[in-house]
Order: sequence, then C-alpha cells, then structure tokens
Amino acid sequence: MKTTLLATILDPHHLSVRFQPIFLVRGESKQLHCLEALIRGPRRTNFERADVLFDYVRRKRAEALVDQSCVVAICDAVMNLPPEIRVNVNVHAATLGHKPGFVEFFHSQAKRRALALDRFTIEIVEHAPTCNIPGLLDGITALRDLGVRIALDDVGLGQSNYRMMLDCHPEYFKLDAYFVRGLTADPKRRAVVESVATLAKALGSSVVAEGVELNQDLALLGRMGIELVQANLLCPALPLEDLVAEGLVPGAMDMSSPSPARALGNPSPHAFELEAAKPFAVAARPPS
Amino acid sequence: MAEKILIIDDDEQLSNAYKEYLCSLGYQVDCAQEVEEAETLLAHFSYSVVITDLRLSKLGFGGLDLVRHIRELALKTRIIVVTGYGWPELKAEASAQQVDAFVKKPTRLSDLAKTIGSLAETV
Repeated sequence: MKTTLLATILDPHHLSVRFQPIFLVRGESKQLHCLEALIRGPRRTNFERADVLFDYVRRKRAEALVDQSCVVAICDAVMNLPPEIRVNVNVHAATLGHKPGFVEFFHSQAKRRALALDRFTIEIVEHAPTCNIPGLLDGITALRDLGVRIALDDVGLGQSNYRMMLDCHPEYFKLDAYFVRGLTADPKRRAVVESVATLAKALGSSVVAEGVELNQDLALLGRMGIELVQANLLCPALPLEDLVAEGLVPGAMDMSSPSPARALGNPSPHAFELEAAKPFAVAARPPS
Repeated sequence: MAEKILIIDDDEQLSNAYKEYLCSLGYQVDCAQEVEEAETLLAHFSYSVVITDLRLSKLGFGGLDLVRHIRELALKTRIIVVTGYGWPELKAEASAQQVDAFVKKPTRLSDLAKTIGSLAETV
C-alpha cells in the first residue's frame, strides 16, 4: 500500500524532538527557565527540517492533525525530563480554534503519562486571519483552566498583532528574531523592541527575545528589562541526550536506559489517538 | 556539484526506479508523490530539472497545475513531462506552459537520461 508523506508524518514515531533552552539572563548569570520542544520530520529526508515540514503541512491544511502527532512525540520526550522542567509546545492557532478536540487531546496525552499540565506553555503560531478567533479564545481559556501558560509566537510579524495580544492575554511574548538581530546597531529596531517591552509590562506579560546573535545585543536586552532569551548564541536546539551531556538538564533520564515512554509498552497507541482526533480533522483539499 | 532533479509521480515504485538509475549517473534526485509535496520542495530547494507525470491523482491532471506553478514562480527549471497520455490537448497545454520535453510512458531509463542530458546541453 502506498504511504504518503502526510501519513508518515502523522505517525509520531517518525518525528523527533529537540529542545532549545530559554534562559533567564541576568548579567553574567544564565539560568534555565524552560525548554521549547521543536519537532523535526522524518530523518534523512528533506522534511527533517522544520521549516520544510510545516510548509508542507500547511499546504496540506493538516495543521490540526499534525499538531496532535507532535503532541504525542513531545509528551513521550518530556517523560525523560525531570518534572520541574517546564516545556513549551508549538500549536497552530487554527488547531486551537477547532473545538473541542485539541485541548482534550492534549490533556489526555499528558494525563496518560502523568505529566503535570502546569509545566507546559502552549506557543500559539501561525494565527491565520481566517482562524476561528472565538474558538481559539475558548481553547486558550480551557488550557488556562488546566494550568497551561500561553505564549504568542513571532510577535511583531504577520498575524501576531495587537488584537492577539489583547485577546489572548499571553504570559509570554516571543519577540521574533527579525527585531532582535543587530539591535545595538539599529536605533529603529531598538525603538520597536523597547515598545514591545513596555507593552508587555503594561499587559502583565514577559518578553522572550529570540535569535540573539551578539553579546552586545544580549546586554542591551538586559538593560531594556528583557531577561528571557532563546538563541543559538546561548544554546541551539539539541536532542535531549546532548542537552544532558552539556549539563543543561540536571536530573534528566539517562537516555541509554529504557525510556518511560517505551516502557509504556504501547507499540501503536497513536493509531487510536489519531483516530480519536477525527472531530477536528480538516477537510481535504479539492483535487488539483 | 551534482545537478539536482525532482521527480514527481504518484507511482512510488516507478519514481524509485528513475531515482536509482539517475543517481547512478551522478545526479542528485528527490522524489515527490503529490502536488503539495512537490510545491514544498520547490519552495525550499533548487532543481535544475523537474520530471513530472501529468496525472498525479485519480481525480485529475495535477501535473499540469504544477507545471503552471513552476512557470509562475519563474524558476529556471527545465521541465520534462512523462505521461502515458498522448492526448493532443494535453500536449498543447504542456507546450503552452513551455514544457521543455514531452516523453511518452513507458520510456526506457536510458532514453529519459538522454532527454535530461540534451536539456543540459541547451542551457
């Protein structure tokens, strides 16, 4: 039987998870604040790269289904982390807009692995204008009721606009790298970043600066009151075993031992879970 | 650096046969089974030659849409259509979309390679 690329991606076993630390930076000290879980596609394919993978997923309009697959892969990976470490998970706004599927699915996946929901932050990505805003807001409320924090990704770009900032009440603004790179040398960028920092403070949110490339920019961000930083300059996205080897995740599961995820002994639990996700499967694209 | 070729055909077995043969000749080959997969690859990677079937699903001639898409993107990609359909109107449409070569299926692998080689000579 022919296996399409989408079917391959919908099997979480074909996805891998990397984690990039978000640090609390104060002067010379940096402390792990949380980890962002980042999905990579099937190994040794062009779709291993996240930008290629999710471009394909959006063209297939399969965000909701793939987000579920990612949640399964991430929850399995998070089982190897110490319980005090918080984890960010990317979810498309369109997925959250589909009621009531995603939040319940996420809840059930965490519950079956005994993962506390209050260690998760959902990063809302790709808020397409066509997204079901009332549904999205209901989804956010339901997540908050479960103790999940909310982050707005790519602030400053595309649909991450003032309305989303007001409506979603995110705990975190993830400031896109576009505004952060070359901050010190560019007064206009500095003005934008300062305005976001002021706005976040007024709204009771914290700013996470992404993509910092220079130490001088890092220092300037600190002077602006932006202390949360996610950047390759500090640490790239790495497989968990590499983070452990770097000493960045003390207390993480020894990756050479059988993982609790594997110990669940459910060789194909995901088939059932993806099946259960049918209520918010998106309509197939018209034939080309 | 090896020339990159993208093969688009929903017949995975056939694509793999093309791929194996063309790789043995030194080309770097990617395969896509559907339009969205091909569009994604074209958006992120550069190919000197695209070889596409015209019928990419049971429902229609998605390959022609893809050819249009490539031309709209103004990519400097040579396009070879490989199809079992010899319908004049399809040939005319492919020609209107500035397809570089039209190859009737079934084709010998060596003939396909010759077609690719001849396109390279005309660059």
